[in-house]
Amino acid sequence: MAWELATFPSDLLPSQLEVEGADVQVVRPGEPVRVTHVLDAVEPRIRPDGRAAFPTKGKAGEGRTNRLDGVVVLSCLDFAEEERPLHEQESIVDLAGPGAEFTPFGDETCVVLTFRPGEAGNEDAEAAARKTTLRVAEELARPTLDAEPAEVETFELGAGDENLPRVGALIQLSDLGPLYHLYVYGTPAGQAGLPRIVDPAELLDGAVTSGEYHWAAMRNPTIFFQRNTLVRSLYAEHGKRLRFADVVLMRGYEQSADDKQRAAEAAAARAQELGADGVVITTDAGGNSHTDVMLTCRACERAGIRTTVILAEETDPESTRPILTDWVPEADSIVSTGNLEEQVEEWKPERVLGGDTLLDGTAAASAGPIPVRNYLGAANQMGQLTLGARTE
Amino acid sequence: MKAVHYLNQFFAGLGGEDKAETPPVRLDGAVGPGRGLAAELEDVDIVATIACGDDYFAEHEDEALATLLAYLEEDPPDVLVAGPAFGSGRYGYACGTLVAAAAERGIASVAAMHPENPGVDAAGKAYVVPTAVNVAGMRDVLPRLARVASALAAGRELGTPDQGGYLPRGFRRNYFAEKTGAERAIDLLLAKLGGETRTEVGGGLDRVEPPAAVPDLSQALVALVTEAGCVPQGNPDRLPAVRAQGWFRYDLTGEETLSAARYESVHGGFDVTLANEDPNRLVPLDTARELEREGRIGRLHEAFYTTTGNGTPVVTSTRFGREIAGELREAGVGAVLLSGT
Amino acid sequence: MLAKEIERAGIPTVYVTSLPTVATMIGANRIIRGPAITHPFGLDADERRRIVERAFELLETEVEPNTVWEVAG
Repeated sequence: MAWELATFPSDLLPSQLEVEGADVQVVRPGEPVRVTHVLDAVEPRIRPDGRAAFPTKGKAGEGRTNRLDGVVVLSCLDFAEEERPLHEQESIVDLAGPGAEFTPFGDETCVVLTFRPGEAGNEDAEAAARKTTLRVAEELARPTLDAEPAEVETFELGAGDENLPRVGALIQLSDLGPLYHLYVYGTPAGQAGLPRIVDPAELLDGAVTSGEYHWAAMRNPTIFFQRNTLVRSLYAEHGKRLRFADVVLMRGYEQSADDKQRAAEAAAARAQELGADGVVITTDAGGNSHTDVMLTCRACERAGIRTTVILAEETDPESTRPILTDWVPEADSIVSTGNLEEQVEEWKPERVLGGDTLLDGTAAASAGPIPVRNYLGAANQMGQLTLGARTE
Repeated sequence: MKAVHYLNQFFAGLGGEDKAETPPVRLDGAVGPGRGLAAELEDVDIVATIACGDDYFAEHEDEALATLLAYLEEDPPDVLVAGPAFGSGRYGYACGTLVAAAAERGIASVAAMHPENPGVDAAGKAYVVPTAVNVAGMRDVLPRLARVASALAAGRELGTPDQGGYLPRGFRRNYFAEKTGAERAIDLLLAKLGGETRTEVGGGLDRVEPPAAVPDLSQALVALVTEAGCVPQGNPDRLPAVRAQGWFRYDLTGEETLSAARYESVHGGFDVTLANEDPNRLVPLDTARELEREGRIGRLHEAFYTTTGNGTPVVTSTRFGREIAGELREAGVGAVLLSGT
Repeated sequence: MLAKEIERAGIPTVYVTSLPTVATMIGANRIIRGPAITHPFGLDADERRRIVERAFELLETEVEPNTVWEVAG
C-alpha cells in the first residue's frame, strides 16, 4: 500500500507555544546558538486521519502524513548529577559556526525544549521529556491540517526489473536498557520481536523513535529515521540500479556471545526471506553493538548475501592506524562515517540553550575545541550525513 | 631559510659499497643530488649535507642516529630532506628512520623513495615523496621533493596527500564527502555485487605472536588482571566507568575472596548487578586461591591490576598494557589470567 | 589491548571474555569464551572452577594466534 508524505512550509509554525515542564525557545536559521544536553531531534508531523504521528499501535507508513518543512524540535535535559547515567555523554548541536557542519540543523528553525530534571529520578524525567517532545512535534504540525501542501511524495515499491540486484537494509537498533534504547512502535527494541521485517515506509513514518543517550555522535535521533537517507536513497534507486527489498530491524547490544550469534543468524535469515542479493548493515551507538554488526555481516556473507557495513572509527588523531571497535575478515566493504576523536575547531556562541555547563564542567559558551564524538548524530552510522574519514 | 640534506655514502661521493661502513659525516653545502635539489628550492639554502654508510647505519643504528641528530641540533634547520633513496632498502630505511626521529623532535622533515621501500614505514609522521624505483627517476622527483621541502620550511600547509604530493602517512582524517554515508554504502554494495570489492576502512591490525606455553604452572607466579572495572568498595581511586585514564593495582595479601562487602565493579559497559552480588564473577580470586592451595599453580601474585576497557582510545589502552606488563615482568610473573567482559 | 601488550612482553596471557570476536580482533591469542558479558566466569563457584581450570590448561598449551576455547558443560 502506498504512503504519502505531504510537505508544508515552515511559516505554518505556531508563533506561541507553551509546554508544561519545559522552557521553550525558538531559534531562527543562522542564529549563533549552541544547544547542550540534547536528548533528541524530531520533525513535526501529524496525520490528517487522526491516528498518532508516532503510533504505539496500528501500522505506520500507510495513508498520508503531513510534515512541517525546515522545523526541528530539539529536546534537552541535564540529568541530575548524582544519578547521571553512566554512559551519558555530552550531546551538542551547534546552529552556526564550524560545529554546524557536523549537526545538520543550522539552516532550520529549531524549537528548543529544555526540560527540568524531576524529583522522581532520571528514568521518569526522561520518559516525560520523550513523550512530551513527540506530542509537541505533533502539535506543531497541526496547522498543516487546514493548509495546502507544497509537495506530496508517494512511497511505493513496484516490482522493478528482475535483472536488477535485490538490496535490503539491515538497521540496528540499540537496547542496552532504560535510557539506552530505541523504541519500535513505543516498545523498547529488545522487546519488539527483533529481528523483524518492516515496510521501509514504516521507518520514515514514526515507527521508530529514540530514547538512547550515550555516544552522542553515533546515536540515532528520531529525525534520522523520519528523514532516513538510506531508505530514501534505496527508494530513489529502486528500478534504476537495484530493487529495494525492504528493511530488517535488528537489535544491538545482545548481552551474551550466544545471543549475539543467534541474533546475527536470525537477521541473516530475515535477509534471506527478503530474497536479498545484498544488504547494507547499519550500526547504532558504540562498543559491543559493533560486535553485533560484525557477526551479522559474517552470518549474511556465509548465507551468500553480500554486505556493506556502515560504522564510525575511534582513531587517536596522532595515531597512524585506523581503529575499529570490532572487525571480521568478511567485513571487506565498510563505509566510515568519520573519526570520533578528531576535534572540531573552537567556536564561541552568543547564546547557549539546554544548560550553560557541559558535563565535563566547562562553560558551554567558551568550551574550546570539542571532539566530534560530542556532536549529536555527527558520525551517524545509518549514513545519514556526509562525514567520512580517510587516510592522509 | 636553511635545509640540511641527508645522503648515503654513494650519493655523498664518499665511495660505493666498499665505503658502506662509513660512520656519519657532516659536509658543508650541497653535494651530489643536493645541487640539483638546491636549484629547485624556493628561498631555501642547503647549508649542510650529512651522510652515513648504509651498512654502518643498519649495524649501528643507535649510534648513527645519535650522531646525525646531534648534527641537526647544533644548528637546527627549517627543513631536513633525506634521499631520494629510490628502491634501495638500506638507504631508504636510514632516510625513513632519520626523518621520523627528526620529526619527533619538531624538525620539519621529508624523505623521498619508492612507495614500496621499507623506509616508508619507518618514516612515521614525517613526509615521504614517492619516486621511481631507480635513479632514472632523479630528474622527475627533485622538483616535487623541492616543492614539499620549500613548503615545510616556510610552514605552509601541504593539504591532503594528493594535493601535497606525498604518500599517505596513515592518519585518519575527517572530511565531508560529496555523498552521504548511505549513498556511499549503496555504491560500495552495488560495486561488490558487480565483482569489485572496495572499502573506506580496513582491518589490518598489529599482531603479536603467542608466547610459548607455561612449562610448569605449578611452579609459576600467576597474576590476575581485569578490564572489568573491579575496585575496592567505594572506588577509592575513582576509576571512571568509561574512558579510563589509568589503571590501578590493589594488594591481595591475606585476601581469600573478592567479597561483595569489600569490592565492586564500576564498569559502564554492562549491567554490573550480577557482578556486584559476587565480584569473584569478574575476578575469580576465590577459585584461584583454591587452586593455589591445591598446588595447581605455584603462587598468586600479591596484587591484582584493574582498569575499564570501554571507550578508552586504543593508544591509551595500549599504554596501560605496556605499563602493567612492565610491572609483571619485573615481579617475575610467568602467566596472566585476564578477565574482560 | 591489555592481552596483546602483556603477551608482547613475553608473558602468556589467557583472556576470559564473552566476546571472543572482539578479543581475536584486538590480537589476543589465548581466549576462553565466558558465558556472558555480565559474568564472564559464570554465576556459581562450580562453573567458575571449570572456567579457571580450562584457562590454566590453555596457558600450558602451545597455540596458533587467536585460539578460542569453549568451556564444556
